[in-house]
Amino acid sequence: MKPGFRQSMAWLHTWAGLVTGWVMFCVFVTGTATYYRADISHWMRPELQAAAVEPGVAVERGAAYLKVHAPKAVAWFVSVPQAERPLLDVYWFDSFETPIRQATLDAGTGAPTTVRATQGGDFLYRFHYELQMMPGLGRWIVGASALVLLVALMSGIVTHRRIFSDFFTFRRDKSAQRGWLDAHNVTGVLALPFHLMITYTGIVTLAFTLMPWGITSAYRGDELRFFVEAGQSPAWRAAAGRPADALPLAPLMARAQAEVSEPLEMAIINNPGDAASTVVAVFEEPKGLAHRHPQVVFEATSGAVIARFGTLKPAAHVFTSFLGLHEAHFAGPALRGLFFLCGLLGSATIATGLVLWAVARAPKAGAVPGFALSLVRGLNLGTILGLPIGIAAFFLANRLLPVAMNERATWEGAVFFAAWGLAAMVGLARPYARTWREMGAAAALLFLSVPLVSALTTDRGLDFAGFDAAMIAIGLTLAWGARKVSHYRGPARLRAATAPEALARA
Amino acid sequence: MTPSSVLLNLALSFAGLSALCLAMDRHHRAIFRVAPSRRQARALRGAGWCGIAASFAAAVILADWNFGPVQWLGSLTGAALLVVGLVSYRPRWIRPAALAALPLAAAAAFLA
Repeated sequence: MKPGFRQSMAWLHTWAGLVTGWVMFCVFVTGTATYYRADISHWMRPELQAAAVEPGVAVERGAAYLKVHAPKAVAWFVSVPQAERPLLDVYWFDSFETPIRQATLDAGTGAPTTVRATQGGDFLYRFHYELQMMPGLGRWIVGASALVLLVALMSGIVTHRRIFSDFFTFRRDKSAQRGWLDAHNVTGVLALPFHLMITYTGIVTLAFTLMPWGITSAYRGDELRFFVEAGQSPAWRAAAGRPADALPLAPLMARAQAEVSEPLEMAIINNPGDAASTVVAVFEEPKGLAHRHPQVVFEATSGAVIARFGTLKPAAHVFTSFLGLHEAHFAGPALRGLFFLCGLLGSATIATGLVLWAVARAPKAGAVPGFALSLVRGLNLGTILGLPIGIAAFFLANRLLPVAMNERATWEGAVFFAAWGLAAMVGLARPYARTWREMGAAAALLFLSVPLVSALTTDRGLDFAGFDAAMIAIGLTLAWGARKVSHYRGPARLRAATAPEALARA
Repeated sequence: MTPSSVLLNLALSFAGLSALCLAMDRHHRAIFRVAPSRRQARALRGAGWCGIAASFAAAVILADWNFGPVQWLGSLTGAALLVVGLVSYRPRWIRPAALAALPLAAAAAFLA
């Protein structure tokens, strides 16, 4: 018999969800954490106290460092210290073929910072869309998984017959499968607008990676011109090849600031020291959904304004609005909290879906589970509990690794992967219900120890109360989950039926 | 997009969704042991949709057409999660909580 439409969609939902579930769970969890990227970065640099520095002065300091350390670079980038990141970051390209280089300076002195080396919240942010792999490969995996997730979302809506009548329903007293299905449905349906929005806009942000051919064929190797014509970046001016003295940067920044109401975010100096050098003042995004930055471009030697960017053409405006909606930079603390909650619900939807796949295929009591089921159970454990364990270990490493350690920032990442890998191996080796309880308790302890270790190794008092509270809340939630799993004895009526048997066996 | 405008959204969404939840046979029975009469159910449903509409209006007025709908959807998700949590763990608290949400909404509207 030919299966009906809904059956086909249920099949599609099951398998599309399973194959992308593990990757997308990691993407959702790290993406949700990224709503608090600045707060995480702040916590991970406890030595840093905010010092107010004039933006123009900061730009001059960054340029002075670059003049000494990167005099032959084709472009310098100096990012202005912000309240949430009171450091002076400088970046430069030695040539267009070499990767970008970076140094972090003290905003007050312009000398390399003595603050502990860490990737901060950027680590989780980059993991969110590149999985900390080679950028091209990581983005492809995330993008392709997100495309399949969108398919899983759509087919899931068709499959779910009782969206409205089960809208508020979470039955805990029926079978285990019913409970997991209700949890999957409730977390999926309640935040459905968010799930659709975040998956779709996420794919849009990776559109140029997934489908580069439009730009490649239309611009034939001059992809930079696309961004110029889209009004997103100024045209590149080739070097004249003869040196010339540039004007001081601070007055140029002040002139640009007089035109724009947003604060200065970054200064870009193209072809520094050359007669054709240009200076770009980049400002923070104005209030609005769109993720776009006003820019003023100067000629470095004369100080003449070459170009101004602010308004975008409709297509670019739509693109940047999707980007803005995805990143939610516009959200104040309360709305940010709701976005965070929605992200947690998205993670929970994926996690419950993965568990449901295994619960629905559980063998009868006494039967040996097949290889596929054991693999899925192991991967579920290793992902759903392994990733949180990795994140907690990452935070602990930030406090426990010696401050002066070589390659310290890389080691923090190594601890993250080592802890996660260990947890994943335990999960694969022992894919049992008991392991959920033990690993859940371990994850809870790790999160609960983060504020404790932080208090013992730093002296910032209650400066990080919010972060500490979040760690305790995550730890308690994990502990509660582990307790639930260990006390779970199956539904009441099944228990009544099996009790005599158990007695007989004993 | 001030915290008080988000609170107003949450309170209105919560009151509205609670009424919609109570209008359903299964949940009404879990709380009051009986299914709602047809008139009760209709009144609760009407009140529920009014709450959700009021929440949308408040979001658009206070946070503009740009952010308003985003904030409204976010508050609906947050409020719905609260309703589901209450209805499955503390069903009897729903009615007093929904009634308490109304003065809270008024206070938040005053601040916003």
